Amino acid sequence: MTNTLDRRTLLTSAVLGTTATLVGATAMGSLAPETAFAARSQSPEPGAPDPNFAEGRVTARDGSMILVSGSDGRFHRIRLTGGTSVWKLRPTTLDQVKVGDGLYARGVLMPDGTLAAESIWVNIVNLKVHVTAIGKNVLYLDHSGSRIVGHVVPGTSAAVYNGKPAVSDLSMVKVGKHAQVIGAWRPDTNEIDVATIYAAA
Amino acid sequence: MAGLRGEVSWFCCGNAWGPCGTAGHGACGTCNSGSWQHAWTNTSDACYAITRPDRCGITGVSRRTCGFRHATTNLCNGARVVTTIADCGPQTDLFCGERACCGGTCASNRVIDLTPAAFSAIGSLNAGLIPCNVEAG
Amino acid sequence: MMGQVAALQALVIGALLVWSSYGKLVGPLVGARARRTALKKFVGEKRAEPAFRAVGGVELLIGAALLLPPLWMMESLAAIALSVGFLGYLTYSRVASPDSSCGCAGSATAPVTWRTFGRAGLLLAAAVLASTADVGWWSAPGGAAIAVVLVEVMLFVALSSELDRHWLLPLRRLKVRLTHPLAATAAYDVPLATTQHQLLRSGAYRAVNSLLRSDIRDHWDEGEWRFVSYTATYDDRPATAVFAVPRLRYEPDEIRVAIVDDENGETVYRPSLLPVLA
Repeated sequence: MTNTLDRRTLLTSAVLGTTATLVGATAMGSLAPETAFAARSQSPEPGAPDPNFAEGRVTARDGSMILVSGSDGRFHRIRLTGGTSVWKLRPTTLDQVKVGDGLYARGVLMPDGTLAAESIWVNIVNLKVHVTAIGKNVLYLDHSGSRIVGHVVPGTSAAVYNGKPAVSDLSMVKVGKHAQVIGAWRPDTNEIDVATIYAAA
Repeated sequence: MAGLRGEVSWFCCGNAWGPCGTAGHGACGTCNSGSWQHAWTNTSDACYAITRPDRCGITGVSRRTCGFRHATTNLCNGARVVTTIADCGPQTDLFCGERACCGGTCASNRVIDLTPAAFSAIGSLNAGLIPCNVEAG
Repeated sequence: MMGQVAALQALVIGALLVWSSYGKLVGPLVGARARRTALKKFVGEKRAEPAFRAVGGVELLIGAALLLPPLWMMESLAAIALSVGFLGYLTYSRVASPDSSCGCAGSATAPVTWRTFGRAGLLLAAAVLASTADVGWWSAPGGAAIAVVLVEVMLFVALSSELDRHWLLPLRRLKVRLTHPLAATAAYDVPLATTQHQLLRSGAYRAVNSLLRSDIRDHWDEGEWRFVSYTATYDDRPATAVFAVPRLRYEPDEIRVAIVDDENGETVYRPSLLPVLA
């Protein structure tokens, strides 16, 4: 915990420019993103499976190694590192990846066959829905004919109306309209927690 | 085709977990979340009748069939991914007029949906919706 | 009165069948609609549309026959046969292709649910009742009979999910307007998704994006700033990218970023002039 706090203090002062440890030549300008992207690990052929990506349900976890059973029947061994980001409704910590969760992982396929994870999105869903009813902090959604219950999590759920800046106020979501919802699925239910809803206002 | 500017999102297809579970392998029968693929609004007459980008004022979306390559560039960071058509979508007309901007660059209307594998190569999955440029790849 | 109610059934069923045939015969989307039904599985993709149109034609024929004089026993027997056929088809589609649209009535697509079965059952009952009629519906029915039939029509409407948008959704909208179930969300602090939305649209993000190796790893607030960190690499060395984002305002241009070396804690990169986007 102290470590985290020390680290945050260091980073805070670095970005606000209150430390003088800046190393000379790179203080100005920006790097061309394209150059560095080209330098990254080999891209797959368009249309082909991406070896640096994995998808499936977590079947076992042993410390920093998680075993994922892919929906296509393949198995993946995914290694979490100190640098791995985990999203589960919101950015969270590595210990939140639990057996039974669904996930998408992006990383680097190592020679031993494990995927060293850079980013993991746990239980994330992206649904194009029809809002059929609204209750107290809950949205009833129709997703191609199936009913989905979307729980609004005050302080976490955000709304984007017509592509404007995201806000915490979801009260402009309308019954009978289409919307897109990024959320976290509650495993083995038809319920999700709403992270961001994109709607017309 | 000149570049098509619009919004990109992602969709799951093939075998999947959760509410995605019944997605199927898409209109081309080859779609998988883990592959670099995308959905296109004009893969056939039947497809175009559902997606209807013309209702949002986007005319001239070329008819392209399964396997055709498009390059999608994330206008927020310049990252680019080349994918092949594997499904029909997105349903552009449901979100007419929606706009996404990065700095001074804005894009309106949904023109393409990528698989999670392809989308996560150019942006964060939880970002959901990104302004983009699409060209024949 | 029962005789009059029975007589009126021809009117109800006739109107329902004509409405139902409309979505199967008219409009440019009939083909797409047909392919979303279980017919696609039943008769094959190529034959789904002709089959869908054929059903619509039969519905229109029987519906018109019921509505128009004279009164024939054949008409109600055909309606009974059709409703039995519907029930059989719905059962098939529920078993064989649960995600498909029922393609039942009008032009809306709606999945097969208990309401669909309820409506098909009600249609069968109405058709059986109609077969007992010995006068036409146009023979001046009494007020009580009309009231019973109005209740029946309301039941049909309630069981038709295709019509929800005309009565159920407005009712729900009214309820939301009166109870404001999501009003409390406005009072909450800025969600991290709001910060991320702003961050992804900033010049600072664009300037260092190629160095980032993860999604958001940590975040904390201090005063008017919200800090967000990502794993990064700089000159092949492990590093951290940290962004300072205005917490309560939308000002992507004010977002600052620094890249800090993970091993020695030095700030190795801090663009002081961010590129202006075209």
